Amino acid sequence: MSDRSLRVVLAVLCLAGAAVAAFVLAARWRGTELACSTGGCETVQNSSYAELLGAPVAALGLVGYLLIAATTLSTGAFGRVAGAALALGAVLFSAYLLVVQLAIIDAVCDWCLANDAIATLVALAALLRLHREPLTPVDA
Amino acid sequence: MPPARREAPKQPPLGRLSLAFGGAVLLAGALIAVSFVGGGAADEGDAAPVESSIPLGRDALFIGIPQDGISLGRPDAPVTLVEYADLQCPYCADWSRDALPAVVEEYVRGGRVRLVFRGLAFLGPDSDKALRAALAAGRQDHLWDVVHALFLHQGAENSGWVSDELLQSLGRTGFDADRMLAETASKSVENELAAAQRASEVAGVGGTPFFQAGKTGDGLAPLQLGALDAASIRAELDSLLAG
Repeated sequence: MSDRSLRVVLAVLCLAGAAVAAFVLAARWRGTELACSTGGCETVQNSSYAELLGAPVAALGLVGYLLIAATTLSTGAFGRVAGAALALGAVLFSAYLLVVQLAIIDAVCDWCLANDAIATLVALAALLRLHREPLTPVDA
Repeated sequence: MPPARREAPKQPPLGRLSLAFGGAVLLAGALIAVSFVGGGAADEGDAAPVESSIPLGRDALFIGIPQDGISLGRPDAPVTLVEYADLQCPYCADWSRDALPAVVEEYVRGGRVRLVFRGLAFLGPDSDKALRAALAAGRQDHLWDVVHALFLHQGAENSGWVSDELLQSLGRTGFDADRMLAETASKSVENELAAAQRASEVAGVGGTPFFQAGKTGDGLAPLQLGALDAASIRAELDSLLAG
């Protein structure tokens, strides 16, 4: 897969992740209930772990996805490294939150699981991008 | 002749990989530390459950029905009924005493309806104290037991009837009243208070009890009950279940 294709895939995945985060954030602000097959979404969203320094974790996720998407605009090394660092950091933090849901809150949120899946795919795409160099002109 | 293009070597320089992993670990480490300290501080009561001093015994109305935070009943029940109430509101107490048992037995226990409690505290300090206790009990999935018990023991408005002794007496096996009292000012309770307030504004709650209902996962619509009795709510719930 070319670097261009990887950037497109990464950007699309980031938009999907941002959409999930924005949906959860909107529900929180409007006070509406999340559709939830596990029944644990409200418990998770109302837990103290749903905020970080007073800001909703969903807002952090939204900003994170947009930042990673922004790195796809760059074809240089900085964009690749920054994108991979952000994406891997997001996966590690998502893994921590999953452990918190299972071990501390004792409830699992569908939307968090959807985010976890997207974050994992974003990290894989970012790593693939880091693994590849862009097409560079060379002397014939 | 234009320059040829080629794919450069597929192995990234080790430095870049190290930078990415290093950055990721630093970023995640910082986030986890902040989250853990914040969450842990709010959840201090989790650490040492203490035996409740005056167990009353579990409210038989809710035995065998799953509770989850502010919800009562199966999460996949086809219909959700949301109740907005102030724990000092006398009409809410009437509803809880006269109509709720029928709703629970006929609709909730069989998994057809899920109830959600949205507590408001606009009648004064005893409303606030009672609601905080109920929401804190929700962290142990016992909100409905506390709400029902407080309605049954409702006293004169802001007379101090929501005493620590009354709240302590709500303790029971599997329900840690000390932990409940310790968590009445937790971030989780504050969040739920704010969420209920926002939801009430969106729903246009003008008085309590106020009800919304709808297919679970779909939108909720306000219910205009002819009377605060089981017959009126039955008609609404049956209509939703049939639709």
